[in-house]
Amino acid sequence: MDTSGKEKEAMQLMAEADKKVKSSGSFLGGMFGGSHHKVEDACEMYARAANMFKMAKNWTAAGNAFCQGARLHMQLQNKLDSATSFVDAGNAYKKADPQEAINCLNAAIDIYTDMGRFTIAAKHHITIAEIYESELVDIEKAIAHYEQAADYYKGEESNSSANKCLLKVGHYSAQLEQYPKAIEIYEQVATNTMDNPLLKYNAKEYFFKASLCHFIVDELNAKLAIEKYEEMFPAFADSRECKLLKKLLDAHEEQNCEAFTEAVKEFDSISRLDQWLTTMLLRIKKTIQGDSGDLK
Amino acid sequence: MSSDFEAYEQDFGTLTAEITNKIGRIPKLGGEEKTQLVLNVDKQLEEVRELMEQMDLEVREIPIQSRAMYQSRLKSYKGELEKLEKDFKRSRIAYSDEVRNELLGEEGGSSESQLIKLREERAHLLDNTEKLERSSRRLDAGYQIAVETEQVGQEILANLNTDREKIQRSRERLRETDANLGKSSRILTGMLRR
Repeated sequence: MDTSGKEKEAMQLMAEADKKVKSSGSFLGGMFGGSHHKVEDACEMYARAANMFKMAKNWTAAGNAFCQGARLHMQLQNKLDSATSFVDAGNAYKKADPQEAINCLNAAIDIYTDMGRFTIAAKHHITIAEIYESELVDIEKAIAHYEQAADYYKGEESNSSANKCLLKVGHYSAQLEQYPKAIEIYEQVATNTMDNPLLKYNAKEYFFKASLCHFIVDELNAKLAIEKYEEMFPAFADSRECKLLKKLLDAHEEQNCEAFTEAVKEFDSISRLDQWLTTMLLRIKKTIQGDSGDLK
Repeated sequence: MSSDFEAYEQDFGTLTAEITNKIGRIPKLGGEEKTQLVLNVDKQLEEVRELMEQMDLEVREIPIQSRAMYQSRLKSYKGELEKLEKDFKRSRIAYSDEVRNELLGEEGGSSESQLIKLREERAHLLDNTEKLERSSRRLDAGYQIAVETEQVGQEILANLNTDREKIQRSRERLRETDANLGKSSRILTGMLRR
């Protein structure tokens, strides 16, 4: 694993490529015959250098090299190559500098949307959103990107992938307390999946989440919503989630904190509540406690 | 006429009550007492049968309009009589606890053997309760696993759906490419000719 050797090689290649570009630039303003060749060579050299940096695990340098290559491709009007180089750059930067990665990926997305390749653009939106989720923890931007991805997927008739993104949007919106949006999304997805025989087993989960969001906003809303969902989708009525919701509604009406906790514990004993659900239920519980606090 | 009938009815009632009582007692007794009681009941059944015949004759003398009611009553009494006879037969061959104890238990009603029996029963019941609890625990675990499996299945189905769409898209693109290639090969052949 002669990494340092690779690095040196890579640096050399970069320097050579730079020279080539400069020489072609000074030559005839850039775009003819021989210099054309040179620029292409330079692109190739940048790519090779970047790969070597990757071997040496020097991610920033690799990303840098890829970016340079991408810009050169743009000059040569090789949109596709440029976009792929930008994507490679983004991947390399992901490990080192998330912000740069996002920049590169954004550039790639612009090229793809220009060419009309929305599916790929959507995929990259998702990647960016994931970076925002994990590394930069900027949930709002993540939501925006997921939404964009979902729209593109819808445009390309990939309803499954669109639903996946929408679910994430709903997830985070509810976390950020943007409940009307979350409710709308969950209802939409649930109604879409209701009819599909492959996906209908998921539908009840989405109805459940929508009802929880309704619940946080207002209890009456939740009751009406649950009735509506039961009518639309009878299988929902039989599910344990529905029974839990009814119990929670009752406990909420009576302002009975223990009954609430009891019901939640019972549900948890059979199937664990994940983080999102626990947060939502906690918020609902607080409204109960808050009310009873007022009474005191 | 009808008053006679009513008198017969009352007699019928008392006799049947007595017979039922004695039939109830027969299984519990044994030996000499039993045979005596059996003979007694037999005699009373005979009396009841005679009563029934009398009632029958009475009903025939009653004018037709009111006959129906008495006839229905008579039918029900006949049914009762048959039932009593059946019970009587059954009681003669039935065995009761006392007789059973005589056959099986040595000191039948002694308290010690009863205690031992009770203790055994208690242990037996505790065993059963434990088995039930174990079964319910296993059922709960099974249910949990089933629920988890369902969730995993949901995810898999969603993935499959996405993959399906991808494959469909790729197929479309492939067909497009194929068409394009066909076009370009035609153009090329055209170019060759020229």
